[in-house]
Amino acid sequence: MAPLILALLAALFLIAPILIVVPMSFSTAISFQFPPPAYWIGYYRKFFTSEEWLEPALNSLVIALGAMALTMLLVVPAAFGYVRYRFRGKSLVNLLIMSPLIVPHVVSALAYYGFLGRFKLAGTHLGVIVAHGVLAVPVAFLVITATLKGFDRNLERAAMSAGAGPLRTFVHVTLPVLRPGMLVGALFAFLSSFNEAVVALFIAGRGAVTLPKKMYESIRLESDPVIAVVSTLLVSAVVLGVLASLVIRRRPALRPDA
Amino acid sequence: MAYLRIDRLVKSYDGRVNAVDDVILDIARGEFLTLLGPSGSGKTTTLMMIAGFEEPTRGAIELAGEDLTRRKPYERNIGVVFQNYALFPHMTVARNVAFPLRMRRFPRAQQATRVGQMLRLVGLADYADRYPRELSGGQQQRVALARGLVFNPDVLLLDEPLGALDKSLREQMQVELKRIHREVGVTMVYVTHDQTEAMTMSDRIAVFNRGRLEQVAPPLEVYHRPRTRFVGEFIGDSNFFRGTVDPARWGRVELDGLGPIQADPEACRRIGGGLVDVLVRPERLQLAGPALPNTIAMKIAVTVNYGDSVLVIGDAGGHPIRVRMAGAPLDSVREGATVTVSWSPTDAHLIPHV
Repeated sequence: MAPLILALLAALFLIAPILIVVPMSFSTAISFQFPPPAYWIGYYRKFFTSEEWLEPALNSLVIALGAMALTMLLVVPAAFGYVRYRFRGKSLVNLLIMSPLIVPHVVSALAYYGFLGRFKLAGTHLGVIVAHGVLAVPVAFLVITATLKGFDRNLERAAMSAGAGPLRTFVHVTLPVLRPGMLVGALFAFLSSFNEAVVALFIAGRGAVTLPKKMYESIRLESDPVIAVVSTLLVSAVVLGVLASLVIRRRPALRPDA
Repeated sequence: MAYLRIDRLVKSYDGRVNAVDDVILDIARGEFLTLLGPSGSGKTTTLMMIAGFEEPTRGAIELAGEDLTRRKPYERNIGVVFQNYALFPHMTVARNVAFPLRMRRFPRAQQATRVGQMLRLVGLADYADRYPRELSGGQQQRVALARGLVFNPDVLLLDEPLGALDKSLREQMQVELKRIHREVGVTMVYVTHDQTEAMTMSDRIAVFNRGRLEQVAPPLEVYHRPRTRFVGEFIGDSNFFRGTVDPARWGRVELDGLGPIQADPEACRRIGGGLVDVLVRPERLQLAGPALPNTIAMKIAVTVNYGDSVLVIGDAGGHPIRVRMAGAPLDSVREGATVTVSWSPTDAHLIPHV
């Protein structure tokens, strides 16, 4: 019993500050105030009707999807090469792939600012997609290499002796069996971009303002309680994402063969 | 007439040590051949080369006169059953079994019929819509067997297929496998390190040791007339004595430290004198009844009663001796007692000492 109580307390300690935004998002106050004087859903209406908030939301969505696609394009082949082959400098490669995790985001942001500016990509969707796509590589790589290490290669052998060439083996066996791990990796890449603020602040400019960037600016200028609405929505999105990844992992083989 | 022909096959991973070293094997159509040996002896690597998963360093593999050596696994018509089943977890039993037919583009109607036949053959007709993880280990292995057989392969390869099952299930599956072999008549090459499995199921056994083939022969011949000391020790329980064949009198062998014995003169002549290892199986040694021509006095150290038989372990002048008697032990067979062990000259098998 005692360990359970401790765990709940620890969870509360971690979550409580975040949960405060939920009541605040339903507040009637014109600025941040806790506890709220009264409740209504006016700020939700404001968020969902104002161009000023919907555009960054759409930008974030587009950028996160693009970054997710880019991350997967980079990570899937890299993970296969890394797990299945022995080569010189393997640990160095691992370090390089993990480096976005180690380098402070501010430093990455500064570097991207200079780099993307040179290619006229600063302030564009593509620029943010490139930056976010690279930043999400380590997390997706960790998830996908772990899945790949647990993959039984006899499955591929069985498929080949059944008459499937390399491509059909990949499509009918390797990919479906690895799909849950790939989905989780992609989901993490999506969330990592969707939540990223520091790099976006530097390179999104005026043309590709993301939600976190818009929130930051809004806090600085006006303390608009819509931020609490956005925060609540973001937190819900993350919670849903994590729950989805749990479901995907728990039921690896339930989906019928495509 | 050889159907599957393995000719001077060599596999080396590092260019120095040969995991498979100059293996020559002719396998007849419809034969049940077992590759037997300890782990790392090259039996699985040989199987993987027949399947096409590993490429031979040298040598050739031919099937019905066709060279398979460089052909991809999916260009061969060979089924494989793995120890860990390797069933596709995202497909039902029926789809697993149908997979080779889909890949080989069998007509749809025929696919369903074949899958039904195979599931009946392995006794899983009612499990078509289950997923592999809903089945027991034995059932999963039956599905793997059905998947390996469904496309009428020229050869079915089995890599320790019963290794993950518990003892009683393993024995049940051995009988089942033999029945399926009889019914289907497909050539089977079976890898195991379990000598009992090899003895009970095979038409012939190929014994591997350190990448080399030690002997290929029917089970009883491998058991009674092993070609090397390794084979004699690896298969069954054994007593080995070192001795010298007397070239002046064929049939007389001088055992080191134990004196002369009589052996088969024909066998002595074939060996032609010199050092030999003399193998006498524990069940051929006698502790009671009229003494046979060869006798040794032995002090009993331990008796182990198995109920249906008794294993007597004794000592004769520093040589450990194992005797297996059917039934219950006699009164004279007590630990500490000295008894006379005897055997008939034809029960001693001579192997030239190397």
